[in-house]
Amino acid sequence: MMPDIVMALIFITYSLVVLLSFGGLLTWVERKQAAVMSDRIGANRAYIRIPFTNIKLVWLGLFHGMADGLKMLLKENFKPTTHDAVGYFLAPFVVFAPVLLVFAVIPFGGAIDPGLLFPSLAAWFGGRIYTLQIAHLDAGLLIVFAFSGLTIIGAMLAGWSSENKFSLLGGLRAGSQMISYELVMGLTVMGLILLYGTVDLDAIVRQQSGIVLGVLPRWGIVLQPFAAILFLTAAIAENKRIPFDLPEAESELVAGYYTEYSAMKMGLFMFAEFIQIAIVGALFTTLFLGGYNLPFMGDTGFQFPGGHAIVLGHGTVLLLQIAGFLAKVMLMCVIQIQVRWSLPRFRYDQMLGLAWKLLLPLSLVNLCATAVIAWLVQGGRP
Amino acid sequence: MLYLFGIIAFVAAGSMLFLRQPMRVALALITTMVMLGGIYGLLGVHFIAAFQVLIYVGAVMVFMVYVIMLLELREAGADRRFSRWRIPGLTMFVLLAAALGVGTWRGAAPAVAAGAAGAFSMTGFSSAFLTRYWLEFELTSVFLVAAIVAALAVIRTSRRANG
Repeated sequence: MMPDIVMALIFITYSLVVLLSFGGLLTWVERKQAAVMSDRIGANRAYIRIPFTNIKLVWLGLFHGMADGLKMLLKENFKPTTHDAVGYFLAPFVVFAPVLLVFAVIPFGGAIDPGLLFPSLAAWFGGRIYTLQIAHLDAGLLIVFAFSGLTIIGAMLAGWSSENKFSLLGGLRAGSQMISYELVMGLTVMGLILLYGTVDLDAIVRQQSGIVLGVLPRWGIVLQPFAAILFLTAAIAENKRIPFDLPEAESELVAGYYTEYSAMKMGLFMFAEFIQIAIVGALFTTLFLGGYNLPFMGDTGFQFPGGHAIVLGHGTVLLLQIAGFLAKVMLMCVIQIQVRWSLPRFRYDQMLGLAWKLLLPLSLVNLCATAVIAWLVQGGRP
Repeated sequence: MLYLFGIIAFVAAGSMLFLRQPMRVALALITTMVMLGGIYGLLGVHFIAAFQVLIYVGAVMVFMVYVIMLLELREAGADRRFSRWRIPGLTMFVLLAAALGVGTWRGAAPAVAAGAAGAFSMTGFSSAFLTRYWLEFELTSVFLVAAIVAALAVIRTSRRANG
């Protein structure tokens, strides 16, 4: 019992540190990428001066995150006079908490055998083996979607309780957009569920460790390339980022459903958005990029198709898996941020049209095609 | 933990009867649903827990909140706090509670062991859904269609009445 609690606490701490630092880091990445892509100077002003000297540590503007956080904490917590107190207070938390919870079911590494890693503690752990995942639930993928549903309510509640026509419109727009794209997301993932026959995220990742067609890793993106593109599009839209940031587009609505929020409450909305980028990256990695699997790597080391093998220790394999997972997530985050600075914004009707008239039928076609091909490959057996 | 979730769910369900603002009633209902999901999760049926939150909070309650937002319902009407059915309602509640209490005390219903659910398999669930429970599933969709038709009919009638 005690070792289980210790391991769970370690996993929770690790996940929180990773998510929160991703949230902070991505604000900086976004500023830097904005500066590069729109040819301007950015994120290089904040510095820390070493006391009694004139040396200023700028470090590429990495201190901007700290300055932002401090600014939000010290700002006046302004409230509109007519707001609905309960909803106004609850909304930022309803948006923020589910975003953090989603990471609990995402596996971020293979199975760890603490006894093998620390022989002196082997007796205490008693041969237990843990998957690097906070909660190993058999309905993992469904729980991800369940928590995303809670976020919608937070956004709508924020818009409604601000008692402001712009916020109300922003909340309504956020609600309908998130519902539309969540449907597409669910349907694209159905193809994967059909192929893997499970909604347990750890089982899905383990099934992606094999090789298909002799050389290609058996990742979701190889089996379902079309679904991967649809999923990423829907996920960016679900996260309300450009080109789909219509609930808060500055041209019409200023900042949409959180116009009336200030200081750290507004910060929570922004922070949730950045953590959601990391979550989308982690989910995409888990479903389509093989999760923590590296190409040709198993639990004991690398196994290349030509018969070559490199044997690695348990600790090295784990470190490689965790590093590989983080690298993939970071890559997906950078791609999402790059999309933001590459594409112009849609109009609201165009965006809903894209979801209902294009992405939804395409994902249905993908699902049907997957079902037929899977049925044919299995020799017509159900 | 189980008791904590239970108490929160009970308090939220109770407050639904006393709160006046529609949005707060909806929030209380959402709390109850999420807590029920938590209870299912603690009992080891993660799949039911996920569906409880996914369907009731993610779909049904989102639409309820949406309707409350669209109608801009801030306050309930200025009618009396309790309906005139409160005495029969309370009597029925007391009778039901008494029946449940007596039943539990006598041990009439066999206690269901927590975590007794077998490992959930997507294939098993899907085939059971399409073979054993298909009639219930299809009937639900028929009900939904009937409800939509009824709603449309009501809208038509009231529009005609208003000219």
